[in-house]
Amino acid sequence: MADLSALPGGKSPWQSAARFGLYALLLIFAAYYILPLIVVLSTSLKDLDEIRNGTLLSLPAEINFDAWGYAWNEACIGVSCTGLKPYFWNSVAMTIPAVLISTILGALTGYSLTKFKFKGANLIFAMILFGCFIPFQVVLLPMAQSLGYLRIANTVPGLVLVHIVYGLPFTVLFFRNYYVNIPDDLIKAATIDGAGFFMIFWRIMLPLSPPIIVVTIIWQFTQIWNDFLFGASFTTGGGQPVTVALNNLVNTTTGVKRYNVDMAAALITAAPTLVVYVLAGRYFVRGLTAGSVKG
Amino acid sequence: MASLSIQNVKKSYGAIEVLKGIDLDLEDGEFLVLLGPSGCGKSTLLNMIAGLDTITDGEILIDQNVVNDVHPKDRDIAMVFQSYALYPNMSVARNIGFGLEMRKVTKEDREKRVDEAARMLQIDHLSDRKPAQLSGGQRQRVAMGRALVRDPEIFLFDEPLSNLDAKLRVEMRTEIKKLHQRLGTTMVYVTHDQIEAMTLASRIAILREGEVQQFASPQEVYEKPANMYVAGFVGSPPMNFVPAAVVSEDGKLGVSIERTANGNRSSVFLALPDDRQDVGDWIGRDVILGIRPETLTHRSDAEISLNKGLQAFDCQVEVLEPTGADTLTYIELGGREVIARVNPYNTTAPGETMAFMVDMGKASLFDPKTELRI
Repeated sequence: MADLSALPGGKSPWQSAARFGLYALLLIFAAYYILPLIVVLSTSLKDLDEIRNGTLLSLPAEINFDAWGYAWNEACIGVSCTGLKPYFWNSVAMTIPAVLISTILGALTGYSLTKFKFKGANLIFAMILFGCFIPFQVVLLPMAQSLGYLRIANTVPGLVLVHIVYGLPFTVLFFRNYYVNIPDDLIKAATIDGAGFFMIFWRIMLPLSPPIIVVTIIWQFTQIWNDFLFGASFTTGGGQPVTVALNNLVNTTTGVKRYNVDMAAALITAAPTLVVYVLAGRYFVRGLTAGSVKG
Repeated sequence: MASLSIQNVKKSYGAIEVLKGIDLDLEDGEFLVLLGPSGCGKSTLLNMIAGLDTITDGEILIDQNVVNDVHPKDRDIAMVFQSYALYPNMSVARNIGFGLEMRKVTKEDREKRVDEAARMLQIDHLSDRKPAQLSGGQRQRVAMGRALVRDPEIFLFDEPLSNLDAKLRVEMRTEIKKLHQRLGTTMVYVTHDQIEAMTLASRIAILREGEVQQFASPQEVYEKPANMYVAGFVGSPPMNFVPAAVVSEDGKLGVSIERTANGNRSSVFLALPDDRQDVGDWIGRDVILGIRPETLTHRSDAEISLNKGLQAFDCQVEVLEPTGADTLTYIELGGREVIARVNPYNTTAPGETMAFMVDMGKASLFDPKTELRI
């Protein structure tokens, strides 16, 4: 797209003033949004004395990572003082398989719904889509019963199953809408060339899918890592994910309220999703808009 | 190489009948063109030959074997798609070799055959490129290479040239023709372009609304169209249709046509050649006279003395359209606009009356009700 501001006859003093006002407004909003993160980060780097004596907005006198170590290794979550560490690994053990499996199943389902169309494929897609609109709370009781029957209640594999089931409508939606734009002639050509269902998927569809795979992984990772409700409902004690542990850490007070530890723990909990965004965010935006403009 | 036989093939989607009983028989090594406007069912028929679409009724035979229930990959056919359908993630060489790879041809043999096909189509210098880095014409060649390398019994082409620009289209058309002459393989080619059909086909099947209108050689389709639809579809500018009445004058059978000459409206009698005495039953009835523009031109007495079929008449000129080689001269016959191909040096200014001659030996007569050839 051409740079509109570079067109001849486009610069007047009024326009420059408007530009200035616009940027000033944007700066104010940016500061407003970034301020909580700055407060959390700077508080996590202070010691307790400094927190008590200083103001909320003052920067730490010296960088001090003690609170981070304490939150990771020693902080008490309920009665066990293990820090966030075991719960963090619980979350990793829950998120990675759940993300991968729901992404693979979503890709396969999206592929079958678009390229190997069967009677009622659109109806099935509509029903799967309906899953996107079911609130979490509605499935809590039936899901708890199912986990009980399967004897995986209060375990990480149980949470993995819950997240796969709940994530599928979204992953199917993403892949289906991406694959619907891939020309059917490719599948026909490959069929005549002698490739079957899985061969076409593996050799032709998957190599075309990186943009949508990135979108799906980021989406699923964020959803599953940040989930609190399922973790709190279906696990207790040692099986809890880090989000639930964070809540319990902040609510467990033994004498002094350690704000710096709370802040450090919050940052540790949020770190993985931030990392994923920073590393793959641009693919996310690119993938979401892929196919909307031709070429 | 193989023969292809399509026997009373039907296709319906629910209550909608797309193909209404198609019968076509193709000898080994023939080039069949399925010609028709969009929505006539020609691509559906091609997909059914390929096995990409199911057959509702009837049978398709390749080399005398019914293939109705044979998987596309086992029919020994190769197909070139309008969109080329190149695998975007694979290099040119891999694209061409994919079919062989799927058939577990050894790597050595595969490379040899891919190289051969690429050289034949002059794309051997592109083998490491991805389809996105190729021009339209190059993509088209890769798509043909992918079909070629498999050495199939039958080639299927689904409007392969319609995404190319005009110049390239003519080039590739010749290329396909050469390919057919060299390989001698049976080919089925779908197009809506009548020039492609005329230039390539050994036989043309013209389809309309799921029915074959005519199945014949290009020359026969052109000279003896089975009905007015075929007559109007093939040829550019199209055949002129003139309302006329069959009459007998001085013992000669002919047609009478209304026209304007020297400011007067009157009828002119055009005698039919002696071999058209079969039209005798039609005396006193209306017919449609079909005249190709090139059989209608300026009067030349020398030619008339040589060819008995030539009939002369005068008519007022309406519009002139010079094309260089000929000037398309618009006149009005029987209330219809008619185009004559006239030598640029023999034209007459619009509004004036000019002497024409028409080759009645090459004219067609149609029944105005059924639109069928008489």
